Parts: sequence; C-alpha cells; structure tokens
Amino acid sequence: MSFKLSLRALWDRRPRRLPAGIPLWAEIVGVLAFFSLPWIFRAIGLATSAYWLEVLNTVGLYAILALSLNVILGHCGMFHMGHAAFFAVGAYVTAVLNLNYGWAILATLPVAGLAAGLFAAAVAGPIIHLRGDYLLIVTIGIVEIIRIALTNDIFGLTGGPNGLMGIGRPSIFGWRLTRPWHFFYLIWTGVALTLILFHFLEHSRFGRALKFIKEDPVAAEGIGINTTRLKLLAFVIGAVWAGFAGTIFASRMRTISPDSFNFGESVILFTIVILGGSGSQRGVLLGSFLVMGLPEVFRKFQDSRLLVFGAALVVMMIFRPQGLIPPRPSKYSLPAPWDRYDGATPPAPGGGRGPGESPPWGKGGTLKGPVYRQSLAPTDTRGPLGADGAAKKGPSGLSPQTGGRDPQEES
Amino acid sequence: MLLLSLNNVTKTFGGLVAVAGFSAGVTRGEVVGLIGPNGAGKTTVFNLVTGSIKPDAGFVFFAGHSISGLRPHRIVKLGIARTFQTIRLFPHMTVLENVLSGCHCRLSAGISATFLRLPSQRREEKRALLAAMAELDFVGLAPKWNLQAGGLAYGDQRRLEIARALATEPKLVILDEPAGGMNEPETQALTGLIAQIRQRDITIMLIEHDMGFVMKVCDKLLVMENGALIAEGTPEDVRRDPKVIEAYLGVDED
Ligand SMILES: Nc1ncnc2c1ncn2[C@@H]1O[C@H](COP(=O)(O)OP(=O)(O)OP(=O)(O)O)[C@@H](O)[C@H]1O
Ligand SMILES: [Mg+2]
Repeated sequence: MSFKLSLRALWDRRPRRLPAGIPLWAEIVGVLAFFSLPWIFRAIGLATSAYWLEVLNTVGLYAILALSLNVILGHCGMFHMGHAAFFAVGAYVTAVLNLNYGWAILATLPVAGLAAGLFAAAVAGPIIHLRGDYLLIVTIGIVEIIRIALTNDIFGLTGGPNGLMGIGRPSIFGWRLTRPWHFFYLIWTGVALTLILFHFLEHSRFGRALKFIKEDPVAAEGIGINTTRLKLLAFVIGAVWAGFAGTIFASRMRTISPDSFNFGESVILFTIVILGGSGSQRGVLLGSFLVMGLPEVFRKFQDSRLLVFGAALVVMMIFRPQGLIPPRPSKYSLPAPWDRYDGATPPAPGGGRGPGESPPWGKGGTLKGPVYRQSLAPTDTRGPLGADGAAKKGPSGLSPQTGGRDPQEES
Repeated sequence: MLLLSLNNVTKTFGGLVAVAGFSAGVTRGEVVGLIGPNGAGKTTVFNLVTGSIKPDAGFVFFAGHSISGLRPHRIVKLGIARTFQTIRLFPHMTVLENVLSGCHCRLSAGISATFLRLPSQRREEKRALLAAMAELDFVGLAPKWNLQAGGLAYGDQRRLEIARALATEPKLVILDEPAGGMNEPETQALTGLIAQIRQRDITIMLIEHDMGFVMKVCDKLLVMENGALIAEGTPEDVRRDPKVIEAYLGVDED
C-alpha cells in the first residue's frame, strides 16, 4: 500500500510536459548542434560517420512522412493506414519523369506532390465518410492495390517487381547532392520546413476545424464546419507531403521497387504517430527517432532488439496511451480589451460563482446594439468594438464586460 | 415576413411516423416555442430544419432559400444555428475554442494564406478571437475562456452552447430544451438571456417542457402531438385550447 502510494507520489511529481521546460535558447542551441552533426562527426573522426548520417537521413525522411500522416491521423483522427501508397506515387512519379523524360529531380518535386494529392483526392472521395476501423481496412486496401499495380508494371512504366534503377541525384544551383551529408541537409531542411508549415496549419481555423471533427464530427457539422471537405483537405495535404518525401526517397536510394512501399511501411508510420503522441509535432519527431533510430543504436544485439522494441511498444501503449509527448493545449493570447483576462486565474472548473453573486448573464454583457453585431465577413475591417473604440469603455468607465466588476477580483 | 416555413414536412423512422405533414411558419423577430409531450416529434422537427436529417416529403424554406436536403453546415452558413437537447460541446477543448468553432463558417482565410501565415490571415484570426470573446461575454463566460469546456458546471455548458451558436452570426437560433436540467435561478437568468438575444434582432425557436418558462418568453407556441401540429397561437390561446389540454392531461374516460 505504502509502496504503491510512494510510486504514486513519484508519478505525480514527474515533469508534466517534458519539452515545455526547455528554454528557448536551449532549443536553438540544440537545433544548431544537430545541424552541425556532419562537422562534429568529421571533427571527432568518427569512422562510421557515413553510416550514422544515413541513419539520421532515414529518421528525417520518416519524420516528414509521419508529420504528414499526423495531419490526417493525429489532428483529424482518421485511421489511415495507407500512407505508404501516397509515398509510392511520389517516388514513382519522380523516377519515371527522371528516367524516361530526363527531368531534373527537383523539378519533379511539385509534380510528385501534385500526383500524390490528386490520387488521394480520387481515392479518398468515396471513403472519407467511413468511420474508424472501416476506414483503416479500406486504406490498407489502397496500399495493397498500389503495390500490386506497381508489381504488375502498370502502364509499362514502373518496371514490375524489380522496380526502377539509376534514378538521378538532385542538384541545387549546379551543386549535385550525392553524399550522405548532402542529403542530411536536404532532408532535415525539409523536416524543419514541414514543422513550421504544419505548425501554422495547426494553429489556424483549419487546424482547429480538424480537431473539432476529431472530437465530435456531428457537432462540428452542426456548427457550420464542412466536415467532408475538411477531411478531404487533410487527406490531400498529407498525401502531397508524402509525395514530396517520395521524391527525396527516390533520388536518395536511386533504386525503388514495390517492396519499398508495402503495408509494413504504413504500419511503421502509424506507429510513429501513435507512439510519439498523435496530434503533437514534437511527439511525432521523437517517435521517428525512437522507431527508426533506436533500433540502429542497438543493432549489435541482433534480433533480440526487435523483440525488446516490440515489448517496449506494448508497455508504452498500456501506460501512456496518449503517446510520449501528447499535444499541448493551444495557447491563445487575447487581444485588447480582453487581455484583462489573460493572467486571470479562472475559477475552478465546474466551480460556481462567488457567494452572493448573481449569475452574470442575467444582466448580460453590456456590449449590445449595432456595435455588437459586427460581422466577421472579410470586407469588414473594423474590429468588433468599432473603429473609433467608442464602446471600449463602459458607461461608467468600468469594465463594460462584467457590469463593473473587475474579473481579477473574483479569483 | 416569414423567416422560416415548413410545408407538409414528413419524416418516418422505419414504421414510426415521427413527423406527419407538419406545416408551420416563424416570423422574423419572434420567439416561437415548440411544445408537446415526450416523443411528439419536436426534436425531429428541429433536426429537419437544421439538416441533421432529411425529410421524406415536404419542404423547408428559410429566408428565401429552399433548405430541405441541404447539409447542416450549409444551413448554418445561411443563418440557422442550434443547440442540442443533450449538450454537445467539444468537451476536451477550451471554452474559447468551442466558441471559435462557431466562428469558422464566417472566416475565409484560404489554405495558402494559412501556410504562409499572411497578414490577412493573422488579422482574421484576431477578429475571430474578438468576436468569440464578445460572445462569451454576452453569456457571461468571458472569465472562464481558458477552461476545459467539459469541466464547466451544467448551466455554464448550456450557456456556452448558446454562445457557440451565436458565434455563427445566425438569423435564427434553435434551442432544444435550453432550460433542461437547470435550477430556478438559472432558468430565471436564461429568460433574461433570451430577451437579450432577441434585442440583437435574432429570431428564436425553442423546445421546452417548463411551461412557466415557455409562457413567459414565447410570443407564439406551436403544439405537437404524435408528429402533427395540433394547436398554434399565443401562449394565452394555447393554454385554453381544449385539444392541448387533452394532449397534456389525457382524456377523462369517466
Ligand atoms: N434517429 C431516429 N431513429 C429512430 N427513431 C427516432 C429517431 N429520432 C427520433 N425517433 C423517434 O421519433 C419520435 C419523436 O422523437 P423526438 O425526439 O422528435 O421527440 P421529442 O418531441 O423531441 O421528445 P422529447 O420531449 O422526449 O425530447 C420518438 O418516438 C423517437 O423515438
Ligand atoms: Mg426532444
């Protein structure tokens, strides 16, 4: 009993959100250190430098893929286990355009993304309304269809089971990327861009809408969100990104075959997102390192490493089903005049009003009349409080929002 | 001027006729109450108006549009917002985010503006925050903006649902048992809130079993029984209508 209690106390005292405690400067130093790894490896004369850079490249590529899956699975909550299919479309489009039509690799990038996005729009259209487990099964079917189509040399372009060989290298301003450290910078710049862009996406009306759909699709639709369109959008964005990753993959490997895009790859991506923390970019990044990097670190233990890895996954899912780094609640900083509530420690959840206070809504807000009814329509450039700030002060100059009570006093 | 009209709307679930040839109209500016015994089909009528379910026959018109068969989000955009009989908030999200969900349909930032975080998108986000906070203030929840919605007291959750509906800038709000589960002071306060919504030139339609409340806030009542409209008129008229008394009290068989 007491043992259990002390364990409990330890558990309660654990740091709640690991990365939240890391100060900004430490994060910047960390990122800079990471991006200087190729130099560090050379400086310390690491013999296996190329090998470790390749490992990091694999981690980065899977991070891009998993972050794009995170939009679909993490934010929108759609159980999509067919992400390898979009990855494959991107890789094969790049390979075919490069080998058969002599396109430069980077020129194929937008086409690969577009093709994967169009493919996603076409296949997702009819299945987007399916719920959880049903969607999962259908998306598994999509990977299989792609794999079988590629194996059967569809359109006579894909080279059958042997795949395509001799894919070119990307070059940037005449600089040909061939070595592992070249790809290190290409891939990890891609990861950084992905993190930034998807961060913007997450903290926008689109990202919010995806979360509403995940939480309650019926309520979301009922409050004015076009759930079908947004789910489709999430699918297409994720697929476009997977297509981009396909381009990088094809030019990094130089050889692609249907086996590179099998169901197992989809499962790995799914695992990364769920293990890391679905909906959390930091979590997914960490998940990529753990799932793709850690097994390499323990390679000397041979096959038992996979056993341990599998067991670790099981334990994780029992004790921390929300993932290693669950998404943080979104932060909003209120614009004036509402910033008065910014620092306010709000009343306890579910707690009632203070003694003797009448419910504030009986009196209601004092922001009424035409000033209140400002539309959100984009043509309206006035703030809801009017351009001249006429309504910013209540009749008595006290808080116009709470009938003169200062909300800070409540707490 | 009729804001909403239902013409001969019918809905059956399997063999059960939930709504049978229901016709009614709502004039702009009114507070209309829809009453009737349990299972009369009131919620089904609301679901037909908001597009959650589609009528088997008949038409619904709103502000000059035929809306029968439209998807719910289209109907919200046209100006009908609702609350649910069983509260349907996004319980794990904050109070503010819940209201922002209502703002979504009035925002227009595109996907590329979002990816690039253009100034236009940032300005729009700020406008949305201001509008959402104004709605929270309107229902008296502004200080609780950063709490989890699921942790709020029951009455607060009902108010939050109303704020979320108002954030869609509706012409008509539809409240399904807004006083359900509320205590006496909360119901009192709700009366005040409804009067204030009305001052904003928003038409209100509501279902409620609390007759005292209904008589006080509604201009007009529609009485349903077994899916059909059995009486219509001012609260005074309806209260005296023998058919209504019969529906509520049952026929005296003696
Ligand atoms: N989705 C559905 N599927 C099958 N039957 C339904 C469905 N929705 C409602 N019904 C049935 O239709 C009838 C009318 O239901 P409705 O919910 O409209 O009643 P109500 O007047 O709102 O009742 P209450 O006052 O109890 O909320 C009931 O018999 C109900 O069981
Ligand atoms: Mg009902």
